[in-house]
Amino acid sequence: MSLNIAQILFNSLLTGSLYVLAAIGLTLTYGILKFPNVAHAEFITFGAYFAYTVADIWKLGFPSGAAAAFVVTGILGVATHLFLFGPLIKKGASILHLTVASIGYGIVLRYAMQEVWGRKDLYFSAYYPGFDVGPLRVTLLWLSFIFLAVAVVAIFHLLLTETKIGRAMRATSNNPSLAQASGIDTKMIIMLVWFLGSALAGLGGVMKASDTRITPVLGWNVLIMSFASVIFGGVGSIYGTILAGYILGFVENLGVIVLVALGLSTEYRFLLGFFVLVCALIFAPQGIAGITFRSIRKRWRAVG
Amino acid sequence: MTMQRGSNVKGIGTAAAAGLAVVLLIVGIAAGYFAGAATVAPVTTTQTQTVTSTKTVGAEATITQTVTQTVTQPVTQTVTQTATSTVTRTVTATATAAAGLPDKVRIGVLLPLSGELGAIGQRMLYGAHIAAKIVNDSGGIGGRPVQIVAEDTAAVPDKALDAVKKLIEVQGVQVIVGPATSVEVATIAKYLNDRKVPAISMSATAAALSNLAKQYGDTYFWRVVGSDSIQARAIADIMKQKDFKRIVTFVVSNDYGIGMEQMILAQPGIKERHVLAIRYDPTKGDYRTELEQVKAANPDVIFYALWVESGKIVFRQALDLGLEKIPTMGGEGMADEAFFEDPRAADYMVKTGLFGTRPTYDPNTYSYQIFYKMHQQLYGAEPSLFADYTYDATMVAILAVAHAGVYEGAKIKNALALTGQYYIGATGMKALDPATGDLLSQDYLIWRVELKDGKPVYNFNYGSWSLGAGVVWK
Repeated sequence: MSLNIAQILFNSLLTGSLYVLAAIGLTLTYGILKFPNVAHAEFITFGAYFAYTVADIWKLGFPSGAAAAFVVTGILGVATHLFLFGPLIKKGASILHLTVASIGYGIVLRYAMQEVWGRKDLYFSAYYPGFDVGPLRVTLLWLSFIFLAVAVVAIFHLLLTETKIGRAMRATSNNPSLAQASGIDTKMIIMLVWFLGSALAGLGGVMKASDTRITPVLGWNVLIMSFASVIFGGVGSIYGTILAGYILGFVENLGVIVLVALGLSTEYRFLLGFFVLVCALIFAPQGIAGITFRSIRKRWRAVG
Repeated sequence: MTMQRGSNVKGIGTAAAAGLAVVLLIVGIAAGYFAGAATVAPVTTTQTQTVTSTKTVGAEATITQTVTQTVTQPVTQTVTQTATSTVTRTVTATATAAAGLPDKVRIGVLLPLSGELGAIGQRMLYGAHIAAKIVNDSGGIGGRPVQIVAEDTAAVPDKALDAVKKLIEVQGVQVIVGPATSVEVATIAKYLNDRKVPAISMSATAAALSNLAKQYGDTYFWRVVGSDSIQARAIADIMKQKDFKRIVTFVVSNDYGIGMEQMILAQPGIKERHVLAIRYDPTKGDYRTELEQVKAANPDVIFYALWVESGKIVFRQALDLGLEKIPTMGGEGMADEAFFEDPRAADYMVKTGLFGTRPTYDPNTYSYQIFYKMHQQLYGAEPSLFADYTYDATMVAILAVAHAGVYEGAKIKNALALTGQYYIGATGMKALDPATGDLLSQDYLIWRVELKDGKPVYNFNYGSWSLGAGVVWK
């Protein structure tokens, strides 16, 4: 039995791309608002359902469905901030308040979606047949996922390093009061962060759904690994999160092979992902973003 | 240490005096009760059975069937059945035989009447009511009418346990029909043994349930549907007949999937042909790497035992990855039209010619016609899935009560193995093994997914398998 290593790496890239898209939004909102938005899972699901409505109910095609999901989920994120978290923060809600509020809000969203779109699984009708590229079996859909994720990463890199808005975002994340004092419109920045973070979540949802199916718990199944990516990558660090997303995607696919070879159920693949996560955090508690040679040596001494 | 033990004994000794008196009193009352009850049961057992059947097919079709049966101890029952285009059935039982029975004979039924399986459970319940009506129309069990007491389990194990407790403790039920799913059975089995009340399932097929009798010391779980171990034998026979040499099993990681995989591997001559086992996580929603391993194993058949929702993704991704050239097989659960909801999954099933087994029986029997006509008459519809097996499970329960002559779980349980000797059910012979509670034989049909008028359909007439005849292709 000879495994097709190239295909497995390709699959890992696919899995990782999904985690990256979902996790970037999570780490962005955390970076600025300092609370984990659990309702992020529902943004992922919402994106998938909305794209389905545009693509298959209004019959406008899959690409316009994905684009519409990006924009509308982004707007949903902004609305969430304007009507829920914004007022709560203004009233001095703590991290705990905000987290619990986001859990409650997530439940409301999930059941609302269940009411609108039903419990039954939905499928995108768009079909992209597979073809062989050398040793790889690919579909246009899978290629576009990877392209999309890489494009998002590149755009974010340029946005954060080369533009004024990017610098303002980083400044707001580091020290909001100082940023505001230096004339940055932090309110605008926060809205932008909500928009981008939610929009990417929606896009991630479309990706996952077009590859599998749409269910009310779609986002929940992605959220756990997204949180892991965020923590693994170093909370609030975008580059760390991107790297972590791909590492976890790879470990997961490798885990499947190991588990099957051991005659175990692939249900344990999360265990392997989190095992890597825990090991990594022992040596680099700040996540990938905090890793330097010195920090590893220091940790090694502390553990050893 | 010894000192302490001594003082403890002394302490208990003082308190025990009063306690012992109470215990003795209770034992005395119980002994008196059982002594009284024991006098009711007669000692002799005779059983005679005559079955005559004549069939003339001509211009005026005349069919006559006579079943005469006499059971002494404690029931004397005569069943005369004559059919000449209409079916007449008479059940007479002597009043003396029913002396040990209550005024109404309650048959508890556990079914999912709500929840995911609610719709199907409601229609399965029709089967129980039909059995009760047929018996009551003929005078009940020795003049005592049968009453169906149904409880909803929602197919959830916890609720099944609540429901069975309610049936036994509140309603005083001594024999139960159901529950429908294997997990529910596994959950309530210990309780049934503790309370000595037998349950007869109409649809729980997990092979592991055959071990419950051994595990809890007595057979309080029975079923009128074949265990998956018989199905595994059918599947293994088909695999050998088709001469597959590189078998991959791809199953959902739960009792159903893993049970199926292990039962098939346990059949002689299969392990040598088996090259890879995949047990997948139904919540994962991405099976490319698993399927990649299947591809690398270069199999000549993939055996699937999937859940529908995750299964559709497996099929769709198998098609994407180009696995459509490898033939595929499946068990009973794979014959579900819900798989066709995803057009890509359906496409894969058609392209690979997915085929497999499903329990079956001959509907051209009198027993089935009696059930079928009554179903039409009462509900004006075709019987739905498992209503027929529910009917048989209820009939078996009623006959066991009649045979036991007393409404007492332990005695009804002992009578269950005997009912198979004279009851031919709507779904075929119901010979039950007293050691495991299992149905001794089950026939299977072989289905295949085919394209008909451009649409995927199940062809249920592709072949058949039975213990006697083996694999037969049509």
